[in-house]
Order: sequence, then C-alpha cells, then structure tokens
Amino acid sequence: MKKKWAYLLMAPGLIVIVAFLIIPILSSILPTFHDGDSLTFSSYTDFFKDSYYNQIFMRTLRISIITVVICAILGVPTAYFVSKSNKKIRGILIACTIFPLLTNSVIRSFAWITILGRNGVLNNALLTLNLIAEPKRLLYTEGAIIVGSVYLFLPLMIVSLVGVMENIEGELFEAAESLGASKIKAFFKVILPLSVPGLIVGCVLVFTGAASAYTTPQLLGGNRKMVLSTLIYQQTMTLGDWYGASVVATIMIVTSILVMGTINRLAAKLNERGV
Amino acid sequence: MPLLSLKNIDVSYDGKTNILEKLNLSINKGELVSLLGPSGCGKTTTLRVIAGFIEPVGGQFILEDQNFTKIPVHKRNFGIVFQSYALFPHLTVFDNVAFGLKMKKISKDKIKDLVDSILNTVDLSSLSQRYPKELSGGQRQRVAIARALVIEPKLLLLDEPLSNLDAKLRLKMRVEIKKLQRQMGITTVFVTHDQEECFSISDKVAVMNAGEIEQFDTPENIYSNPSTEFVARFVGFENFIDLSNISGNEFHAKGGKKFTINSNRDITKENIKGTIRPDDIEIVDENSNKENLIDGSIDVRTYLGKSYQYNIKTDLGTLVVNGSNNNVYSQGDNIKLYLPSSKIILV
Repeated sequence: MKKKWAYLLMAPGLIVIVAFLIIPILSSILPTFHDGDSLTFSSYTDFFKDSYYNQIFMRTLRISIITVVICAILGVPTAYFVSKSNKKIRGILIACTIFPLLTNSVIRSFAWITILGRNGVLNNALLTLNLIAEPKRLLYTEGAIIVGSVYLFLPLMIVSLVGVMENIEGELFEAAESLGASKIKAFFKVILPLSVPGLIVGCVLVFTGAASAYTTPQLLGGNRKMVLSTLIYQQTMTLGDWYGASVVATIMIVTSILVMGTINRLAAKLNERGV
Repeated sequence: MPLLSLKNIDVSYDGKTNILEKLNLSINKGELVSLLGPSGCGKTTTLRVIAGFIEPVGGQFILEDQNFTKIPVHKRNFGIVFQSYALFPHLTVFDNVAFGLKMKKISKDKIKDLVDSILNTVDLSSLSQRYPKELSGGQRQRVAIARALVIEPKLLLLDEPLSNLDAKLRLKMRVEIKKLQRQMGITTVFVTHDQEECFSISDKVAVMNAGEIEQFDTPENIYSNPSTEFVARFVGFENFIDLSNISGNEFHAKGGKKFTINSNRDITKENIKGTIRPDDIEIVDENSNKENLIDGSIDVRTYLGKSYQYNIKTDLGTLVVNGSNNNVYSQGDNIKLYLPSSKIILV
C-alpha cells in the first residue's frame, strides 16, 4: 500500500520530465537513425568522416578533458586546505569559492576578453616588460576557452571535494604519519583515495559543464575555434539545419555518458571500494 | 638510566596559557606507564608530545640519549593506537597492518610473513581480507594494535584505546594488551581516565591534574598512599579533615579535637589535611576507649549492595562511612566513629 502512494508522489515530477525532456529528446534523436524506413547510422559516419566536424568534436573533447584535469590538479590541494581550516574560516573560504558562480557567465567571460584581448591587460603587461615585440593572439584560441572554462568550473570541483574531505577523520592522517608516511605520502595514500567519491562528482560536473558550455567557447573561441555546442547553435540559428543539430546533440550525449563511465572506472582504481 | 624522559615540557596553544607546565616524566625500558586524570588534565597532550603531533614551546623529549623534540612524526617509529582506532577504511585488514611496513620499503614476501605472524598473534588471521567496516569493535581494536606493533616500534602509545568498547570486552582487551606488551617487552604509554583500568595493567601511573603530574608511582603506592588531595580524591578518599601539627604524630583538628596519625611522610606544611577512605572508618560502641574517636549522627543512608553508605554529621563536617550489612543504623542515630591512626593519610 505504501509503495503505491510513493509512486503517486513521484507522478507529477515524472510526467513533467517525460513530457518535456524525454519525449523531446527522443523525437530529436530517433529521426537521425532513420533513412526513410530502414535503420541507418549514415548521418553519424558522415559526421566523423567530415574533417571539419571531426576536428570540432576532437577539440570539444580535448578542451573538456584538459579542463577536468586542470580543475582536479588545482582543486584537490585547495579543497584539502579548505576542509582542514577551522570552521569559521572554512565558511568564508567556501563563500569565496562559490561567489563567482553568482555572477552571470557572460560577464565572467567578458572579463577574460579584456584580459586576453589584443590590447588586453596581459598583452599590455608583456609588452611593457619587453617580453614580446608585438601583441600575441591569446583570444579565440583553445587556450582561451580552457582558461575560461577552468575559471568557470573550478568552484564545482572544490565544493564537491570539500564535502567529502571534511568527513575524513583527522586521526587517519596522523595514523599514516605515525606509521612512517611523510605528509605528502600520507596525503596520496590516505586522503586522496578517500576523496575519490568527491573527485568523481567534481570531474563529472566539470566535464559535462565544460563539454556543453555555450557562452564561454562562443565569447573566447568565437567562430575560429568552434566546439559542439557552438556548432549546434550555428546549425539551428544560422543554417536552420535542425536535423544536423540533432546529430551533434546525440553525439554530445553519448560522449558525455562514455566519459563519465571512464572517469568512474579510473577513480575506482584509486579506491576500489568507493569508501 | 631511563629509556625515555620528558624534561620541563611546556605546551601552549595560544602562547599565553600553558596546557602543560614544566612537565617531567621518566620511563624505563619495558615498562607500561599510564597517564591518568580527568578530561582536560593534559594527559592526551602529553601523549601527543611524545608522538610528535605537538611540538612543545619549551623543554626536551629525550629517547635513548637522543633529543627527539623536533624529530618529525614519521621518523620516530612509534606505534600509536588511537581512541577511534583510525583504521584506513579503504584498505583491508592485511593492507592496514602492512601500511607501515610498505613505508619502510620492505620486500613483499617479508611483509607478508610479518603481517601474517602478527595477525596470528592477535588472532585475526581468518579476517585478513575483510575491510574495517566489516569488523566488530574488539576486532578493529586488535587490528589497530597489530598495525602499531608490526613496525617493531621503540614505543607503543595508546590513547584511551578501550573507551569505545563495552564493559565486558574492555576487561578482556586490557588483559590482552597487557599480555602482548609483556610478551614483546615493549615500552608503553597508556592514556586513560579510568582508574580501575589503569591500575590493573600499569607498572607505574602518573596521575595528572591541570597540566601537571601530581604523583608518579606504582599503582599500589598511589592507591594506599596518595601524595596530594587531588590524587586522594581520584583514588576514592572521600573524607578530608583540616589538621595542624602539634608534635610528632599528634595533630589538632578544628575545635581542638586531637588525632594520632602514623605517617612516614615529612610534614613541612603549616596546614595539612588528613584523609581516610569510607571503608576504613569504623562505627564503634558508645563506650569504646580507642583513640581518634568522633561523635556523629546518621544524616543519610544509602544501600550499595555489599554494604551501606552513611553520610554522618560530625563537628568536623560530614564524613562518608561504609558500614556492614550486619549492623544497620537509621537516620538520626547517634554513633561513635573510630578513625584508625594507620589509615589516615596526610596530604
């Protein structure tokens, strides 16, 4: 009896999701596998055969993975520091971490334009220091998109890790030290493996965020360095090619799922039990 | 020559108030020494200074003629058993125990031999592939002890290791700890707030209060001959009488009452206290002609099972006395109390 009530409670949310998420997704994905009556993958093989599209796909993957790696490298020590600081300071540090998320991503990407632009802060500084003879192209490069994405998604990595690291008992670190592990070894042998659940959440959030971001690659990469999400926009809004956009969208979804699976598997190597 | 000595150790967290003040402690090789005291007395802090987690602001920690004060934790090679056991949740029992050996870069075969042998000693061989979550409290405790012992530490440090176990298991584990300690002959420092537990396994006990060691002696001496009022109260002395010395073993209490006390302690203080356990005061006949008699009347009677406990009003304040089940008094009864001169301790 109780179970039936539970289903009833779930119904409103389920109906909304099915009506406005599942059905639209299926109705845009399914036609891409149909060629008249028969099942076909030709739209997908065509996509990957086309060097221009293939390049965009690889670029998206590359940017997202590099962003995830940089966020993890920067995020893990920061998160550990935050989780070990005393309660009062921890609250302030977490607030500082989350604060950038309260600003619109368009505005934050514009900030990078003024820094990376031809006459931007960074070029001017390098010129005055005589390190370069003429302004370098920093904007509209993959590097610019990566910098912008890291800046955008690092807080997600830090917050996911802090949540897990806070709950790691301080005595575990001391126990490792007492058994002959230096502080660095104790960190890699005990703290890092125990942070894996947070690391997985952080990596998945950052990857999906970076792979599907639109504003940052649009503003910092422009039309020179297209990614899948900007490609979808171009195909629908500029070319009116909704079918092609559906193909790209499907590729994005499948890629995200595959990468999440890989992240999970890699993380499991660090901590086989996920505890 | 002691194995380990703490010399004038000062510990302060804020630079103003001292948690430990000019603390001195010497421990001989192979001894099991307990640090006993109420929470906040500095016993755990002392252990953490020895372990190296806290660097003292003053004083020295000497081990085998070597100054250990500034040696980092991971180079000390001390085995530590934490109150929470601090087992690594992501490692099996085997890997938990092997952790310290792996840090020493010992060969895999050797590690397996050593771990198997210590797990055998603590009777956990069959559980070596389990994870800490899958063990009971007592088993976790044994893993923690095995992990600390397998590195052949110079010292074994135990921080309230029994406080998370139920009463029955606690009794069993303390015997096991004592046995292992004897067997391996390892010098051990044991921190506890439980007097009975501490006395039962220690060679020597340091009773601590407010960052200082009040008395450092064998459990027997501390029990029968406490040197300060704090120690006396901690080991169950409940009656304290203000006294002043007249001559030899003659003492005056408030109101002129005279006491004879046989004490081998040199009395230098002006005002001292005589203390006696509730068990050692006898309720006697009205017409007894013993020395050290006081008149009193029963104020409160409580039943303890093997005896009755009375709060007795006297001219010297309320005294707590345990009386036998054979002769039961009730509230308001006027009685005489006999305080044997050899049972009164001067503090």
